[in-house]
Amino acid sequence: MTAAARHSQAMHFHARAGEKVRDEGLQKALQKAKPLFVGKRAKGMAALADDGLAFEMLRTACVDIRNRVLEDLDVWLEIFEARATASGAEVLWARDGDEICELVIDVARRHGVSKATKSKSMLSEEAHLNEALAAAGIRPVETDLGEYIIQLAGETPSHIIAPAVHKTIAEVEALFAREHGRPAETRTSADIPAMAREARQVLREHFLSAEMGISGANFLIAETGSAALVTNEGNGRMVTTLPKVHVVITGIEKIVPTLEDFATLMRLLPRSATGQTISNYVSLLTGTKQPGDTDGPEKTVFILVDNGRANLLGSVYQEMLRCIRCGACMNHCPVYLSLGGHAYGWVYPGPMGSVLTPLFTGVENALNLPHASTGCQQCAAVCPVGIPLPGLMQRLREAQVERRLRPRGASLALKAWAWLAGKPALYRWVMRRTARYLNWLGDANGRIPWLGQAPGWSEGRDLGAPVGKTFHELYAARKRV
Amino acid sequence: MRVALYVTCLVDLMRPAVGMASLRLLEAAGCDVVVPPGQTCCGQPAWSAGNRSLAGDLAKKAIAELEAYEYVVIPSGSCADQLRNVYPQLLADDPAWAQRAQRLAGRVFELSSFLVDVLKVCVPLADFNGSVSYHDSCKGLRGLGIKGQPRELLLKVRGLTLREMADCEECCGFGGAFSVKFAEVSTQIVERKCVAIAGVGADAVVGGDLGCLLNIEGRLRRRGDETTQVLHIAEVLAGNAE
Repeated sequence: MTAAARHSQAMHFHARAGEKVRDEGLQKALQKAKPLFVGKRAKGMAALADDGLAFEMLRTACVDIRNRVLEDLDVWLEIFEARATASGAEVLWARDGDEICELVIDVARRHGVSKATKSKSMLSEEAHLNEALAAAGIRPVETDLGEYIIQLAGETPSHIIAPAVHKTIAEVEALFAREHGRPAETRTSADIPAMAREARQVLREHFLSAEMGISGANFLIAETGSAALVTNEGNGRMVTTLPKVHVVITGIEKIVPTLEDFATLMRLLPRSATGQTISNYVSLLTGTKQPGDTDGPEKTVFILVDNGRANLLGSVYQEMLRCIRCGACMNHCPVYLSLGGHAYGWVYPGPMGSVLTPLFTGVENALNLPHASTGCQQCAAVCPVGIPLPGLMQRLREAQVERRLRPRGASLALKAWAWLAGKPALYRWVMRRTARYLNWLGDANGRIPWLGQAPGWSEGRDLGAPVGKTFHELYAARKRV
Repeated sequence: MRVALYVTCLVDLMRPAVGMASLRLLEAAGCDVVVPPGQTCCGQPAWSAGNRSLAGDLAKKAIAELEAYEYVVIPSGSCADQLRNVYPQLLADDPAWAQRAQRLAGRVFELSSFLVDVLKVCVPLADFNGSVSYHDSCKGLRGLGIKGQPRELLLKVRGLTLREMADCEECCGFGGAFSVKFAEVSTQIVERKCVAIAGVGADAVVGGDLGCLLNIEGRLRRRGDETTQVLHIAEVLAGNAE
């Protein structure tokens, strides 16, 4: 079993989903976030028209860029490695999460690091890096406000760009009061700036004292050997420029060929994520501190991670590697917006997580996720790199059937039903009987309050009882008249 | 114009009035309507479950019994999407069947889209005294691009006023087997839809897919809404009398 599979709780999706639906605090937080997620993106995309641009046109361009990279990923990675090395950085390769941890700890030891500040990195979540660092005597400090909250709470992010979206203000206040050693107050959304200032004060000390900064990268730019970082809080700049060592951890698929390609992708990334025309900070980090530079790390290390990605190249799932981690799919997913991210059980939630989790941790270790979709296709509609997420979930469902991983009872029922649907005369007879039966189940108002064959349905919904005759019966009767 | 009416398994069993209303609308528009007698189910449940071979068998059955007609009309965006968009990819590995699926796909229409885009004339057969709000079902909207057609038709109904609910394009949480497999999540989603429906306060919610309508109606009644009607667009356009 791989390290990723070991940490995954995706097999408990069903039970967790039930808990999350009943979690009032979580539901409140999600209901608050939903109109912001959806509304901001819609506004951001509509504003493209001001520049004479349109979403569909840009999406096609972004799809092309990402496809071009994936077709020759090895070549682009070699170019990146050569350029990054030439600019003074070191490029290391990690096969999986465990190797990420080993490499980071090794770099830390070589440079006498006792504290590392971190800007947001989902790869470090894949690797459970914070636990590994702590075990090695190195203190990791998350500096993205959401990640900081999550770290204080001892939780994992529930969203890839809004990691603490599942938390209410009251919960964050209780956490801050406890961790910052002060009495708790009554807080409203008007107090958010004050709370952010409070966190900033604590973090400032860490920024100045950490010997190592760890960040992710939204993109790696092959032609310049740079990491591109797209952030809003400014913590990314602190993490990547103040400490003497900067470690960038990112997936091998994050390469884009040129700065111009990066600029094109940036038209859609912030708009898809937060509706912003551009994020507050866009950093291009190249090499190490040079003579005459006033800041920057003395040592820059890129850790480029596979952790299941290379396996997708050339497979029917390759399109998933186009993902630029904007979060739009989950922000528009009715299932995600009902559960939040923790129900999904591993690092990535929502539709992209329902595809990535089985692919990275094993199809057999995430059986529910590809089915955790209403098939509404909104994720595909908003994806800035045109990933056919519903189609990929469909493929994963097929893979489960091919590998006989579906529950036996359900498979037999489906087979029996399909057999029946292939025998029209018998099918008609069964439908007539079923129509009578369901009609008989109806109460005085013509409703079925409890259907034993589908208790799940009946727990939350009535079912309108049918009139007792099928369409084909009514049609035959009409023809006779 | 010889038109095959494919009523769908759900309409056949749960609300045959939708099939009868579709029939009357098509006949009134001058179509020579045939109900192919062998029709059962398009196979979408098998497809959604990931069972390609069962779904393929049912797709071939449907293609064989429908391909002789000039048009196939279905009072469901979801099933129409299955025939139009899924069949060709489902049978892509079998050249002969793929070709037959392709040839059929272009002639399959969801009811409101057929009335507006193909027939281009539709006179409602009934009045509706009150306000309605249209719920855009997912496969119709995102699979087939159906958005204006049902509204255009509803606005022709005498006495009817159209009022848009908030987030009318958002899924109702039905999703076929999803509604049973992940019932609690499904209920949570349809609860949000019901809040939007309560917010608009229309006399009726109207849609083009019976699955969604059963889901919405079931939740509305469970949360104590006894008055909001939940109707298929065919029922509104044709009236419920037969």
